[in-house]
Amino acid sequence: MTKYMPRAVRKTGLILFPAFDWCITPSHPEREERLLYTRDQIVEEGLEDVDGIEFFNPELAEYADIDRVHLCAPSSKALLTESHLISAGGAIRAAKAVMEKEVERAFAIVRPPGHHAMQTVFGDRGFCIANIEAIMVEHLRRHYGVRRIAIVDTDCHHGDGTQDIFYNDPDLLFISLHQDGRTLYPGSGFQNEAGGPAAQGYTINLPLPPGTGEEGFSMVTDRVVLPLLDAFKPELVLNSAGQDNHYSDPLTNMNFTAQGYARLNKAINPDICVLEGGYSIEGALPYTNLGIILAMAGLDTSNVREPDYDPRRFVQSALMNGQIEGICQNALDIFAARKKWDTGVRRGEEVVERKSIYYDTTGFGVDQVRHYKLCPDCPGYTEVEASGAGELMHGFTVPFNACSKCQQAARDAFARAAKAKGPREQVVLQDRVADIYETV
Amino acid sequence: MKTVGIDVGGTNADGVLLEGESLLAKAKIPVDHDNLSGVIIALLEKLLGDNAGQVDQVHLSSTLCTNAIVNGEMDEVGMLVQAGPGLNPEFLDCGENLVFLDGAIDHRGGLVKSPSAALVDAALADFSAKGLQSIGVVTKFSHRNPQVEQDLARQAASFPHVTCGHNLSGLPNFPRRVYTTWINAGLKTRFQQFSEAIRTGVKRLGITAPLSVLKADGGTIPLERAEAVPCESVLSGPSASVMGALALTPREKDFVVLDIGGTTTDIGLFADGVPLMEPYGVTIMGRPTLIRALNTRSVGLGGDSEVKWTEDGYVIGPQRHGVPAAFSKGKITGATPSDAMVVLNRMEGNRERAAEALRLLLPNNPPEETAREVLLSFGQNIKRAVEQMVEDVFARPVYTVSALLERQRLEPTEIIAVGGPAEALRSELAAAFDLPCEVPLNYEVANAIGAARTRPTLSASLYANSSDGTLSIPEIGLHEEIGRSYGMKDAEESLAAAIRHLAAQAGLEGELPPVEFVEREEMNTVRGFSATGKVIALKAQVKPGLAGV
Ligand SMILES: [Zn+2]
Ligand SMILES: [Zn+2]
Repeated sequence: MTKYMPRAVRKTGLILFPAFDWCITPSHPEREERLLYTRDQIVEEGLEDVDGIEFFNPELAEYADIDRVHLCAPSSKALLTESHLISAGGAIRAAKAVMEKEVERAFAIVRPPGHHAMQTVFGDRGFCIANIEAIMVEHLRRHYGVRRIAIVDTDCHHGDGTQDIFYNDPDLLFISLHQDGRTLYPGSGFQNEAGGPAAQGYTINLPLPPGTGEEGFSMVTDRVVLPLLDAFKPELVLNSAGQDNHYSDPLTNMNFTAQGYARLNKAINPDICVLEGGYSIEGALPYTNLGIILAMAGLDTSNVREPDYDPRRFVQSALMNGQIEGICQNALDIFAARKKWDTGVRRGEEVVERKSIYYDTTGFGVDQVRHYKLCPDCPGYTEVEASGAGELMHGFTVPFNACSKCQQAARDAFARAAKAKGPREQVVLQDRVADIYETV
Repeated sequence: MKTVGIDVGGTNADGVLLEGESLLAKAKIPVDHDNLSGVIIALLEKLLGDNAGQVDQVHLSSTLCTNAIVNGEMDEVGMLVQAGPGLNPEFLDCGENLVFLDGAIDHRGGLVKSPSAALVDAALADFSAKGLQSIGVVTKFSHRNPQVEQDLARQAASFPHVTCGHNLSGLPNFPRRVYTTWINAGLKTRFQQFSEAIRTGVKRLGITAPLSVLKADGGTIPLERAEAVPCESVLSGPSASVMGALALTPREKDFVVLDIGGTTTDIGLFADGVPLMEPYGVTIMGRPTLIRALNTRSVGLGGDSEVKWTEDGYVIGPQRHGVPAAFSKGKITGATPSDAMVVLNRMEGNRERAAEALRLLLPNNPPEETAREVLLSFGQNIKRAVEQMVEDVFARPVYTVSALLERQRLEPTEIIAVGGPAEALRSELAAAFDLPCEVPLNYEVANAIGAARTRPTLSASLYANSSDGTLSIPEIGLHEEIGRSYGMKDAEESLAAAIRHLAAQAGLEGELPPVEFVEREEMNTVRGFSATGKVIALKAQVKPGLAGV
């Protein structure tokens, strides 16, 4: 329209919602101030006037959007505040903007984040209650008929919640780049965590050594992320765009930069980004968010640097490079050997997985047993029993890509469990095919 | 109190003399855009005759600055710009003399690095060698820390005119700050000549009353003060019509004002009787600025718009057809809404020719029917434009949970229409909006009345960071230290003082209209795990309104 402002190559939507009146606690990293400086930078840059960058307010997600993904104890209504519905609604708004062709790309810069929220939710874990990205994925599938989706999680912490939710889904490729779990919360994300029985090799973890910088991220992007995306051929690529790999982040030990985030985004070329973590609120977030936005819009990112940026500070050692090469090779091997459900299995067989899940914000544990019910025709349904904090959740989940026999089997199992229900027990049927959430 | 209001339009200049709310006299003369001051003086003479000495105040809405920008008649400006990290600033397009300086100020107003002296010296020497008269200095985040701009201005003090970005607006948005500064500096010479010519002419007529010019934000500013900020007088036309409609039909509810002209219709919105503002400022000739403005929109729909018939129905505008058949002679080449109004006897004109024009659209349709359909379609188009505008206002970004949950869509309850074709379109507008539509008395001089009745507006913005210990109010160039305990109450006091300072600077005497505090932001800053202070942002304004009578 005007030659007086830059023009985006790709029309890009921004859902910028810093929630200046919400915090976990006043001095918590997830506090009112977190996106203040990011908002200030974006507004001062004049992005609202850039041709082809559109701003949208978030919507409020509905409880049905939450219940399609999570099994909340005691309930989604009891656990989630309006702020969580807005954060999830921000991600949904981003998806809607892209799917309804208001824009080509969208970035939800919202808080609180969500990638540590697992399928069962008993409270706040790693600053997350609702997995806003997973909620967006199931919303996309439900309302826009999207099937194959890839999520690249570039937050410094392992995206254990997202991994948990899609662990047995061969229509979702989950790739997580993160600081090695032996050195950082949540302590998971090792390469042997590669997917459930119906989705072997569709979860790819890339645990990187502390101190990894631009060189290391470029290596895993070029050698693993891009070839895997090429091979998987998703309809949509999503980026859990956490920004705590930054060299100035107070919670982590990596060496990544704003220039690096911009380049990473250019390479992955995601359709939709959702902000996750990132707690260097002054030294990193204003610049990393700007770098990602400009990269999405196809605008010049060469001038996006931290005021104290000096590329000489970020040279990686040969030893570290060698280590990362090994991680890349493992990942490629795991993906090459990927395998959907086994058509040879007997219906009714199951694989059992036990987990202890720690809720760090208030400090309690949940013990969980998940039964993957095998099926020769589909990924099968799952049964999960989880107990903690005085609650007992007993859920039956029918995935969106289940066959009708599994759907019926889950309903029958739910009915039996409901009849045998104990006093503190909550029995839930979460049927994503029929979009039903029934609780007894 | 006797007030004169002058509105200079595209073809005519209108003047009114008011005593309180009542109209004592009105006058009109054709505009000569090459001699605007002459036009204004001649109009004053015609309007006032021998009564010039009894006038208490004179308000002018002039197209001088708008025309200078549109016609590319601004001064060459030497621009010193410190962009710092962010968007590549190469896109900034403001003349041949733009020099980017090194260094940066960060988002909290922290000075990362001053520009190097060698660069600044070389740029100023070059500007001086080229004989430039006007200098503009802008840094990113100067609304948080004006020091670098102030330093640069000092170094450029030998030039006749220097504009600093922070003085023009306390709002964020660096590209807009650059364009605003450039426009302001570039208008300097022309506005000064205009101002001098007006003062001389007024004196000759025996007018001793203070002179003010109308701003795009629906307020006025004393002429002398405007010499320092000529950019404020850009695009004051729509604000004159909005304020005119308010003056003619004051009411305290949500309503829409339409100023329907020959080529365009200007739309203004009111919430609870107060005109809505643009979030940042006007966009002029494609350049976004921080020139405070009422939220108005101009759509290409007017009495002389071209009407076509297509498969999808009538298409009206945005092109102008030219003089409608009903008012012209010679070959009839097309139809206009004005022809439809004439066919329906709602306007004087040659009815035969108007009917023939409408037959060009649909030969087999009776002209009266075509006329009714054209006007209905006109009303529908206006309604769609208003709905889009209401939606855009509703969709403005909000940043808090409470603001998101509490935001409300504007719900107009009435349409106020002014301008030549307003009366003829009244029933179609009422039907399209399903709302009462009023066309006020004296609507043909609404703009001049708006200019006359408007009062001064002022605004200032504050940013305080008690953990860094700094306070900044850019509009008055204030940047000073504060203590840890500085709070919202202190911020209100600082801002109220700033508004008083601005009022004195503008030469405004007597009691000010009430100062309103808006857009409060207050957040604790935490480093490590302990609170270190607060970030406070606050704005104060004297909003546009009608002067007491
Ligand atoms: Zn993280
Ligand atoms: Zn099955």
